[in-house]
Amino acid sequence: MKFTRRQFLKTTAVVLGVPTFIPASALGRDGTVAPSNRIVVGGIGLGPRGREVLKAFLGQPEVQFVMIADVQETRREVVRVMANRHYGNQDCVKTRDMYEVLARPDIDAVVIATGDRWHALLSILAAKAGKDIYCEKPCSMTVRESQELADAINRYGRVFQAGTQRRNVDNFRFAAQLALSGRLGKIHTVHAGILPLEESFKWLPEQPEPARDVVDWDRWLGPAPWRPYNKDYVNGRWRGYFDFHGGAALPEWGAHTVDLCQWAANADDTTPVAYEADGQTIYGRYANGTKLVMRLSGFKGEGNWVAPGTCPVRFEGDEGWIEAADTGKVAVSSPKLLEGGAPATMPGTDPTKHVRDFLNCVKSRAKPAGNADITRRGHIISHAASIGWRLGRKVEFDPVTETFVNDADANRMCSRARRSPWHA
Amino acid sequence: MKFIRSLLPVLVVWVLAGCATAPISPPSPVETAALAVLASDAGLREKARAGQELGDFGGPASVPALAALLGKEHLADYARSGLEGIKDPSAGAALRAALPTLEGRYLAGAVNSLGVRRDVAAVPALQKLALDSKAGAAEAAIASLGMIATPAAAKTLQEILTNGPLALRVPTAHAALVAAEHLARNGNTAGARAVLNAVVRALPPGHLATAANDKVAALSGASGAPARR
Repeated sequence: MKFTRRQFLKTTAVVLGVPTFIPASALGRDGTVAPSNRIVVGGIGLGPRGREVLKAFLGQPEVQFVMIADVQETRREVVRVMANRHYGNQDCVKTRDMYEVLARPDIDAVVIATGDRWHALLSILAAKAGKDIYCEKPCSMTVRESQELADAINRYGRVFQAGTQRRNVDNFRFAAQLALSGRLGKIHTVHAGILPLEESFKWLPEQPEPARDVVDWDRWLGPAPWRPYNKDYVNGRWRGYFDFHGGAALPEWGAHTVDLCQWAANADDTTPVAYEADGQTIYGRYANGTKLVMRLSGFKGEGNWVAPGTCPVRFEGDEGWIEAADTGKVAVSSPKLLEGGAPATMPGTDPTKHVRDFLNCVKSRAKPAGNADITRRGHIISHAASIGWRLGRKVEFDPVTETFVNDADANRMCSRARRSPWHA
Repeated sequence: MKFIRSLLPVLVVWVLAGCATAPISPPSPVETAALAVLASDAGLREKARAGQELGDFGGPASVPALAALLGKEHLADYARSGLEGIKDPSAGAALRAALPTLEGRYLAGAVNSLGVRRDVAAVPALQKLALDSKAGAAEAAIASLGMIATPAAAKTLQEILTNGPLALRVPTAHAALVAAEHLARNGNTAGARAVLNAVVRALPPGHLATAANDKVAALSGASGAPARR
């Protein structure tokens, strides 16, 4: 016999000999969500972006956010106060140890927004613990991690949503669906905006490590290789370093833009078969001949994009083209393409609809827009392309085996050792 | 004594390198430069980076230098990075030879690297570590047995699930699920089914037992399982 939370409340009250008065709010009769329908959520590593995502979670009626783990005291306290202020109580628990969140049986889902070095491993550990997962992007540091992550999600039957929210932002959706509809003709080239490719092997000067309760440096590093502490890393300036930022920074925006190109090219179940870099532009080619161009689109307007905003994409067919970017606008080759109505304008960084999609899938057990299989291939493309850039030559890739073809050097770059004792 | 023990893996690798029959190509300029850094009195950062470069470009000639770092604070994981990347069997031999000389997180790290390399020759050593409650690397050894997933490795996992300590049953179940995937991929469905059934028998109902049951069903030709509550 299964006990629902509601039955438990009533039975407990009887056993304890107290009147069986249960407030309407607990039963969901005053517009609130009954406990049995709530989704209990914990957070791990919620910095500035993580708190934006948390706001979207707190805005959903069925979400009950109960615990924050962060290796930095200031950050975990900010999140604890934010949650308690939202609920008007003191119930949110904070901890330095992310494993405590994973060990709580009442937590259904976790939001992971640490730095990239932890994303895949924590997602895998959460899946092993039976949690559903919303994980910020990039979700992996290497090709191998992209595979391990998707394999674990499928192994344990979890719902996974990568923080690739542009799959649920109106103008990007409109652009991808226009490409899929055939109104642009046969799609021959898709363009993904990326940040400058970079890999720094420098270490910042060593500074005294703070007390572990203030900043747990060992945990901050986690599976990344050891290096001495410097406060700049923990204050968010860890990007660009090889040890913390996988794929030469290509997945930073590629997690979004390459992913959207995959969608528009109707290629979510495959990857390009070749990559070749020319400076800061990388050209990919799918088996059917479609081209994937990964080119700069920094904050300074590089790249001659038409649509305004960061994270631009462009889909070109033999009858027209469309671009979309973070201002929520689209640019098209002909006004006729917008005759059915232009998409609503929402910022590309807004995660609200993406979070809603995730929560719907937590209930239905369907796959959300940024599910693990889609994320696997989108991320593998970013990593594989960056390996070609590192090697400075053309590389060929087998989408089925997910390995480089006759290229031992490239295949060696598909994985990195995790620092002990952290392993999946 | 400790000094002699720390030299053991290096000596073993030298002996193995001497026995190798395949011709060894000369080190590349990148490898030569990285090895020179490791042999010098360069700082931690330079040696760490050299270890990573050897993971990308090193060959058998790099193995002894990397093996010598497996117990060194701050450099051990960089050395593992190098040894995981070198496909030559001498890298696996060096990791195996180092096991008796390592402790704590260094031992767990080497054990994990053997799993990542899917080093079949490491199975006997990993079986011992998986059943050794004092060495402190039982969970890492169990996970590596799951990754290597030979029939012998899978049998050890079944044994732990059936008769092993209760505290190891959950990590062993995770490893068993991974092993079952490898076994099934290699056509050993009977072996996969046996290890999955051991998971179901060893654990109370829950997401792990459900995952194992779903895999058993999938082996029988049932359609893929949907995401579970």
